[in-house]
Order: sequence, then structure tokens, then C-alpha cells
Amino acid sequence: MIPLVEAPPAPPLVLAPPAPAVSAALTDTEIRVSSGFRGARIVLYGAVFDPKDRPSDIVVIVRGPDQPLRIARKTQVAGLWLNSRPVVFRGAPGFYRVASTRELQEIAGFAPLRHLGAGLEHLAIAAPLEQRVETTYGVRDVVVSRLGADYLDWRRAVVRLKEKAGLYAADPRGVRFVDKGLFRAQLDLPAEAPIGQYTARIVLFQDGKPVSIRDRALVVEKAGAERALYVFAKDRPWTYGLVSVIVALGAGWAASVAFRRS
Amino acid sequence: MHFYLPIAEVSVNALLLVVLGGLVGFISGMFGIGGGFLMTPVLVFMGIPPVVAVASEANHVAASSVSSVIAYSRKRSVDFRMGGVLACGGAIGSFIGVEVFRWLRLIGQADFAVSLSYLLFLGVIGGLMLTESVGTILRRRSGQPPKPRRDRRPALLYALPFKVRFPRSRLYISVIPPILLGVFVGILSAVMGVGGGFILVPAMIYLLRMPAPVVVGTSLFQIVITTSLTSVLQAGRNQTVDIVLATLLLIGGVIGAQLGARASGRFRAEELRALLALLVLLVGLRMGADLFIKPEEAFVLMTGATR
Repeated sequence: MIPLVEAPPAPPLVLAPPAPAVSAALTDTEIRVSSGFRGARIVLYGAVFDPKDRPSDIVVIVRGPDQPLRIARKTQVAGLWLNSRPVVFRGAPGFYRVASTRELQEIAGFAPLRHLGAGLEHLAIAAPLEQRVETTYGVRDVVVSRLGADYLDWRRAVVRLKEKAGLYAADPRGVRFVDKGLFRAQLDLPAEAPIGQYTARIVLFQDGKPVSIRDRALVVEKAGAERALYVFAKDRPWTYGLVSVIVALGAGWAASVAFRRS
Repeated sequence: MHFYLPIAEVSVNALLLVVLGGLVGFISGMFGIGGGFLMTPVLVFMGIPPVVAVASEANHVAASSVSSVIAYSRKRSVDFRMGGVLACGGAIGSFIGVEVFRWLRLIGQADFAVSLSYLLFLGVIGGLMLTESVGTILRRRSGQPPKPRRDRRPALLYALPFKVRFPRSRLYISVIPPILLGVFVGILSAVMGVGGGFILVPAMIYLLRMPAPVVVGTSLFQIVITTSLTSVLQAGRNQTVDIVLATLLLIGGVIGAQLGARASGRFRAEELRALLALLVLLVGLRMGADLFIKPEEAFVLMTGATR
């Protein structure tokens, strides 16, 4: 008799509690800028997968292409208001929006927000040209700013001016849960928004910690005649200049001929 | 109707730009100035980046000026030879001016240089022209004989070498003063983003002593050459000419210039000059006022990134 060897029993299915996750999609991933462009509205839908249904918060951070910027301060010299020497800030996005389900400081503490660059006061912008690293009181690598104590004023001014131009904004009511686990965010892109590669980062916060992150890409690009002219101006600048002058002189000549007849 | 400008990267009201172009063109045809000193501040105020405004404006000025030059040359009131000599100087000047402006932008003092030169040049020229022309008008109204024009021309015009005959201006003078004048106007026009007519017109009247009828046409002729050159230079070197913006402006501009050139015949020369002086003075004071008024916002973002 051949003993029947019983197949070993299948190991019991151990169900580790699945980690909570977030998923999201943009309704448009390509914004085409043509002559009629007056801004665009982008809608983002997403879902939170969490079997335990813990209280969740969503933060959406949209960044445009980086644009180093120069800023100067007006100072009074002998009764005249003059610009100071300009300061270069690096790492500043050309466009920045943060939208969340409630006020950011209610969602998480300083460290995670700073780490993610979530919120206007946590944007990682700095003026490296104005800084030097030195050793102070035996502590190495201390960043000293030549701007001195009012460095924060400069930084705040960058954010304030960008906000005024409609390029930076924070909306603590920008993300809404429309159904159980399903959320919706709406982002308005002004006509001044820079051309280029954008990223939307969707972060799921639970208990003050970022537990899941998704990145979605968005492209803002010129289309049609706008694009053709732009490419022409960049690729063949001298020909473009000549053409624009010929158009101008031709128009002037045409008008004078037309008026002579009339 | 809104239009998205491909180089300026902003959306603007097209109709408004055409109307503005027309108004400035009218003034340009009437007074023989390019009109850049009016248009550039308006464009910047509308939110167009200053560098793009300055460069595209040169293109618009070229268009409206060519339109009125043709109108004036039919009346035989353009001294092409004098205009050519001035333009030679202007070409040298705008090369220098473009470099000066780059350097000013780099050290962050471009705004200051622009405000100051508007205040200084427009203020002084406007003020001088206004007192002179109002004086003439008042004397005529009160029935006094006009002040005899001092016909003695500055000796420097004759003492210098390279004398050239300018038949249409009835002058036989050295080319050095007009060339220097051209260089000066060229530098200024690159820095201020203007054609420079508001300096050329009085300089031709008071310094070169050219006969008044040919001054306006000649100034416009010089402006056509300098602004065309500036346009190509700006496009080639800085890529800041927005052809859509320029086209919108010049549609109105060329028509306005024709109407302006016609309207100029209906006014007396000194009344025309008083009006121009008032306009120049007002723009100069408005631009210069920024230097003295405490700014609401202590910080300014600078365009043109970090080059």
C-alpha cells in the first residue's frame, strides 16, 4: 500500500490590514493655450481606500515650472524712492496652489507640512546667492543670510506679490468629500499661469501624518498660431524681427495709400 | 474680445489695444513724434511685461511713423538727407543704449533710470516748449509784433569740419552736431522705450535751426529708421517683440496717424506746440511722481528673471 500522502494544508490567508491609500485623476492633463485663452479650470477627482474608515484629510499641491525670480526693495535715498540691489530667489515655482479639506495647521503639524512644502509659508524658496555657510560658536554649516534679520520680510514679500498676481494661492476649502471616500478638488488656472510642466501632488493625511501620496502630471502648452509664433520667435529671432518690421512698414504704407485714394 | 499674446503671455482686450493704438497714432501724426512715451507707460499699466512693451512698442511706432512720413513727403516736407544723417547717429546710439539698458536691468536700476529720464527730459523739454509757445500765443493775442527770431545760428554748426549741404532745410552745416544728436536720441530711446521725437523736434528747431515746416517730417523719417532697427535688435537679442501685440496696436496706429497728419494742418504751429508741450510735461511729471511718493508696496518683483 502506498501511503497516501496528504497535501499539506494551504497556509491560512493572513489578512494584514491594508494600508490606507489615495488615488486621484485629473479631468484634463493637457491645457492648450491658444489665442482665446483666458485661463482654465481643472477638476481633480480622487478616492480614499481605507477599510477602517479612519478620519482622513486631503491636501492637493499644484506646482508650476520653477522660475527663479528677482525682487528688490524700495528704499528712500535723499528723498527719492529707489530700488535696492535685487535679490535672486531660487526654487520658486511659477505657479502654486494648495487646496485642502480644512485649514492646513489643523490637518498636520509644522514638520510634515514643511517637508511636503504644503502651504504658502512652507514653500521651499531661498536666496542662495545671498547666503553663505559658516561655523558659528563651534556649530558647523550655519546658514547666514546677508539680508540679515529681515530675511523673512523678503520671503513674505515674494509670496505676497505672487499672490497678488494670482499665481500663488491657498484654499483651505478647496477639497470637498462628495461621497464616502470620494473627493473633488477644483483648481483655477489664470491666463498669466506660466507655460510648462505642472505636477499635482495629492496627499492623504491621517492623524496628522501623510500616509499616502500620489503625483499627477499636467502640461500647459501653447497651441495653434500662438505656438507657431512663439517657436518662430525663439528659434529664428532675427528672421522674426525682420518679418515684424516688414509687417509694420507694410501696414503703414498700405494705410497711407488707402487714405490717399479716399 | 480677448486675445492671448504669445510672447507677453498675458490675455488682453484686443479692441482696447486697437483704440489706444489709434489715439497714439493720431497724436503721432499730428505732432511728428513717435508716441512711444505715451504708449509704453500705458502698456505696462495694462500688465504687459515692460521689456515686451518697450520692444513691441518700437514696432508700432515704426508703423505709424512710416504712415505719416509718406503723408509728409507728399507735401515735400521731409529732409531725407538730414534724416539719414540723424539716423546714422541714432543707429550707433541704439546699440549703445541696448547695452546700457541691459546693465541697468542687471543692477536693478532700470525702473529708476526710466522714471528719472522721463521726469528730467520730458519735464524740461515740456516746460521750455510750453513757456515759449504760450508766450508767442499771448503776444499775438495782445496784438504785439512777434519777437524777432534770432537768426544767428550757433557758431559751432559752422566751425566744425565735414560741412554738408542740406538743400531742403536750407542749411550748410557740419554733420557732427546732427550725428551727435542722433547718438544721444538713440541711447535715450533704447533706455526709455521711445522713438525720441519729443527731443528731436525741439532740438532741430532750437539747435540746428531747421525751418519749422520740414522738422516734423524729418523727425518722423529718422524715427522710422531707428525704431525699425531697434525692433530687429530687440527681437534678435532679447526675443521680446510680441508680433500680435504690435499688430493690434498698428491697426489703429496707421489709421490714426493719417487722420492726425490731416488734422495738423488746421492748427497754428505755436498752438500745436503748446498742446504737445502740455502733453509732454504731464507724462513726465506723472512718471517722475513715483520717485517721490512713498510706495504702497515696499517690494517689487523684477521681470527678466536672473540673467
